[in-house]
Amino acid sequence: MLKRVWLLGCVVACLGFIMPMTAQEGHPLTGTWGGDWGPNPTTRNHLTVVLNWDGKNVTGFINPGPDSITLASVYLDVASWTVRLEAEAKDAAGKPVHITAEGKLEDISSYHRKIIGSWVQGTTRGDFRLTRD
Amino acid sequence: MKRVWLHTLVIVLGLAITVLIAAAQRSNTATYDGNRQVKLQGPVTRIDWVNPRAFFFVDVKDANGTVMNWAVDFGNPLELEREGWKKSSLHIGDVVTVDGSPARSESREAFAKSVVLTSSGKRLFGPPTAKPAAAVSLPTPRWPDNQVRFGPSPGKKGYWGASSSRVLVDDKGGKIPMNEDGLLLNISDADRVAPFQPWAKALYLNRQRNLLKDDPLGRCLPQGGPRQFQMPNGFQFIEQRELGRILILLGGGDRNWRVIYTDGRPAVPAAEAVLTYYGTSTGRWDKDTLVVDSAGYSERFWMANGGLPHTEALHLIERFSRPNYDTLKYEVTVDDPRTYTRPWTATWTVQWVPDKEIEEYFCEDNAEHTFVR
Repeated sequence: MLKRVWLLGCVVACLGFIMPMTAQEGHPLTGTWGGDWGPNPTTRNHLTVVLNWDGKNVTGFINPGPDSITLASVYLDVASWTVRLEAEAKDAAGKPVHITAEGKLEDISSYHRKIIGSWVQGTTRGDFRLTRD
Repeated sequence: MKRVWLHTLVIVLGLAITVLIAAAQRSNTATYDGNRQVKLQGPVTRIDWVNPRAFFFVDVKDANGTVMNWAVDFGNPLELEREGWKKSSLHIGDVVTVDGSPARSESREAFAKSVVLTSSGKRLFGPPTAKPAAAVSLPTPRWPDNQVRFGPSPGKKGYWGASSSRVLVDDKGGKIPMNEDGLLLNISDADRVAPFQPWAKALYLNRQRNLLKDDPLGRCLPQGGPRQFQMPNGFQFIEQRELGRILILLGGGDRNWRVIYTDGRPAVPAAEAVLTYYGTSTGRWDKDTLVVDSAGYSERFWMANGGLPHTEALHLIERFSRPNYDTLKYEVTVDDPRTYTRPWTATWTVQWVPDKEIEEYFCEDNAEHTFVR
């Protein structure tokens, strides 16, 4: 059993290394981004953001699935490679909550470029970190 | 436990090999510092006459008498052959003097600008000399039904070799000073290269400022789009008329080929296409010109030297014609409204290499080029 787990680990590790070789070289925001946000290092919330450049606007949503949140706006400042995301979500009680995230696009030539910055969701302030899958 | 260690060893070796492959075939600009010079003198210890880059190795003695082995990159073998070089021009044991540009990294590598046999002073390799005037070309070869052939005449050999341009530039931009890797000599000329959308220009400039070091070609990924017709190793048309298709065998790819369907099938809607490096192509004849409509490109490659971006919306219209036996005229219209503000066109010619075939090429063969010496 241990051997099989180890072999599976080997395969996953190799795939993980091979996959980044097929980078996306088009619009730097297009793609699926994974990461988290939270008010402090120990309280984190999983985050998946899907973005797509249609030639005029970047559209997308947060956490795809039945509870996905459509992004109301995505703004990319190409002079500074800063990104601003805005969305309307709902809290656990179903009350509307506004999300504003501002971050900087880093390592734009990398297979796994990142967006790192601040995340404000309702009255909660924190930080977020996204890495392109 | 022993097996666990064995698996670990296999993974580590696999990763090491992948790293070497990943760093292969970097552009000259990214690899060598053209602003610095290095002079090397010593005996040749090894010659690697392989595509896409030929290397020889020299034992160089420093001021303290310590011998260091240097790798000297002296270019693409096919281009060297066209300049009169042969594999046998240099021998192990020959003492040579090399003038060149050192690597940007700390590795003992240099790109040769000239190589001189120290004993005789004979110049083995140097700046390209003026080419003799070309002989008058034969007429365009044709099939029995008078359609233009893009391959050799029956019973002959040959392929398409050197292109008149290694860079993709909007014809409206005029002649823009840049090196063969597509690096602008004056960054302010970017607006003349192509009608970029703001994000595309910013990305292009970012790649330029990084000296094109992230070029996917440097990771041995295929040269999709117009770039396939600007590679030094050339290409060859295989016209399979009975099958309604033309194959283009690409000498500059890892035994890559591309299919152009000429059987009248409709173009694949971009939304339905499986995205690839070479797209999905259909061709039709407009008198003596083959007009090829291609879409379905992935975003995994740079379509030209220099880092011109594109998106999955890329649509190319290519026009191939052969005004005489030795010349292929290539015109490409780039239509990618997500990246450029309007369609734009670039044109160049490619010269016929008679009596030869394209050679085997595996980008990974130059992985060794990356070793730290």
